[in-house]
Amino acid sequence: MPISTFLGLETTLRGILAQQQALDTTGHNIANANTVGYTRQEAVLQASPAFTPAVGPGQIGTGVDVATYQRARDDFIDIQVRAQTMRQSYSQATSDGLSQVETALNEPSSSGLQSLLGNYWASWQNVVNSPQDVPTREALAQSAASLADGFNTLSTQLSTITSQTAQSVTDTVSQVNTLGTQIAQLTQSITEAEQIGVQPNDLLDQRDNLIDQLSGLANISVTQGNLGSITVSIGGATFVNGATANTLSESGGVFTMTAAGPPVTTSTASITSGKLAGLVALRDTTLPGYQTTLDGIASALITKTNTQHALGFDLSGAAGGQFFTGTSASTIAVAPAILANPSTIAASSVTGQAGNSANALAIADLQSTATVGSATIDDAYSAFVTQVGADSAAAKQTLSNSTALVQTMENQRQSVSGVSLNEEMARLLQYQRGFQASARALTAMDDMISQLISNTGKVGL
Amino acid sequence: MTARITQSMLTQTMLADLNRVEDRLQKTHEQMSTGKQLNRPSDDPYAVGRAIQLQSELASNKQYQQNVQDAQSWQTATSTALMNIGSDVLTARNLVVQGATGTMNQSDLNAIASQINQLIDSIKTSANTQYQGQYVFSGTATTTAPYTLGVTDTYNGNAVTTQREIGPGIQVSLNTIGQNVIGDGTTGLIQSLRQIATDLTSGNTAALQTTDLQALDAANDTITSAQAAAGASQNRLQSALSRLQQGEQLTTQVLSNTEDADMAQVMVDASQESAVLQAALQSGATIIQPSLLDFLH
Repeated sequence: MPISTFLGLETTLRGILAQQQALDTTGHNIANANTVGYTRQEAVLQASPAFTPAVGPGQIGTGVDVATYQRARDDFIDIQVRAQTMRQSYSQATSDGLSQVETALNEPSSSGLQSLLGNYWASWQNVVNSPQDVPTREALAQSAASLADGFNTLSTQLSTITSQTAQSVTDTVSQVNTLGTQIAQLTQSITEAEQIGVQPNDLLDQRDNLIDQLSGLANISVTQGNLGSITVSIGGATFVNGATANTLSESGGVFTMTAAGPPVTTSTASITSGKLAGLVALRDTTLPGYQTTLDGIASALITKTNTQHALGFDLSGAAGGQFFTGTSASTIAVAPAILANPSTIAASSVTGQAGNSANALAIADLQSTATVGSATIDDAYSAFVTQVGADSAAAKQTLSNSTALVQTMENQRQSVSGVSLNEEMARLLQYQRGFQASARALTAMDDMISQLISNTGKVGL
Repeated sequence: MTARITQSMLTQTMLADLNRVEDRLQKTHEQMSTGKQLNRPSDDPYAVGRAIQLQSELASNKQYQQNVQDAQSWQTATSTALMNIGSDVLTARNLVVQGATGTMNQSDLNAIASQINQLIDSIKTSANTQYQGQYVFSGTATTTAPYTLGVTDTYNGNAVTTQREIGPGIQVSLNTIGQNVIGDGTTGLIQSLRQIATDLTSGNTAALQTTDLQALDAANDTITSAQAAAGASQNRLQSALSRLQQGEQLTTQVLSNTEDADMAQVMVDASQESAVLQAALQSGATIIQPSLLDFLH
């Protein structure tokens, strides 16, 4: 078959169209330079299939086609970014919670619990010095009440932080479920597009963005399926399978994945990283641990003081009653009888001796006695503060490290997928010139054909 | 192949670096405004634990000093009272010597006897010394006066000693028991003086010269040794106070080293970091602005 006269027109037309599409893609990239999660696209130009003429040598080229709109994405980098994001979110959740605990502790300062303890022990010494003086006893009752208040307040604040953390867990679980539903919907659209042979780049970008967000919340793994379908699992349990999303729920630290069914099945998800894991660790382990330690200190103070107090006698000669009521840091209080009438403080070791302060001295000496296990009350509290500080410092350090790592991986991803305006500008020029050249060539062909049609065979006419 | 650099990478990196610089600067400013390098437990957990213990030691130390000073005042009151009693005993002795010479007539002796009775009341008044509302010679019955003025000579207090704490685990007993020093109607100084008064009114100069004088001297010795004991107690308290004050200085020093910021260092750091911030901002601005767009027309 001979070559058509109009082949050149078609070739240059293809050139114009291809350059225009490439230009359009470049424009799309520039427009989305600042879109979060956008992956740059490139129109991949490919020479269209050559044509072998029946007469003449070899094959003749037929122009250019846009083969595909390539999405510049590296899946391996995605995996790394998500892994680092999980770690970072875990330490962010932990660090935030522990910072709140530090603020509640308010140490070292002159208004923290250590200072209240110091005042309390000093007040007992003052009663030792002047056991019959009622104002001195009054001062003791007041400083004991302040100490009890300090314990109450700290315990309440720990409880508040714990319940806020629990609320965050609930909120995060519903966030996870919302993301799952959105991912499933996007997968539906993506699969439909892929089935008709089209790669929906922007939908893929959106879905990757959602998966990034999800990776901050829990430890996930993603498996690619056919036709753009994916399976997302959380902690080993299937979460999104193609276009279906399951539901995650949490109760008492156990995460359950419920499949919509039918049939309705449940499986356990083992959440070990991400924001959820951090929050649950805080809520179920760290914060209750602090609460228990604090309760231990308060309870030792209550029982040891009351035991010694009961051995003594007050100003009217009666045996000592309870000094502290309550059993824990949230319930410790000075006995109402003592507050109402400080002469009932049993300072004396023998009944009827107003100047006897031996029992008060014994209670004051509880400061240097091993009352909380093998430590004194002051030392046990100091160890508690140190523990909170160490935990918080470790979380901050991990956060700082993992943030830097996320930054590095994100940069790597940007390096592959990000839009470089300089690059797009250069391409713009390139395709613009290409378009102009093809248009030029088209004009030239048109001229030639016009010459052929209009002027060939007109001899003398 | 070198890596592609995009605008967003440059921006993100610049922002992350600026964040780091500003974070350091913020920490330095915090140290400057609080004067402390430990502002929360996570700044240095083990130093914070140490700082808390030191603060507790310091508070205890100050309380012990207060205890010592309180005890010192108590002992001063005791010593003053003993001194007055001592001078009263000396007066009584001179009177006895006078009466024992045998040159006086009965009415003179009676006059001396009533002077002796006055001295007994004076001695009892000294023994009833109070310190901050507590009778110092009554043992632990500090709300009861040890002696009543007049003819009743019974000792109304008890013999229990009170303890004060002047250091960790270090206790001193504080009080002097009135009965041990001046006795009561049946024994001791008071009894001797009553006997002297009786002997004076009965004109028994023989007894005055011998047994009465001996008894008075023995009672005086008791007072002197009580004074010596009070003096020794004062010395012990004073050296305890000096030790505590030295300890306070030392603990304050260590506490300051642990938790206070080195202000000179902090100021140098602050100006250095400010300069770094300036440089980072300037270079950041220079890097992120130009792009090919500026040069294409």
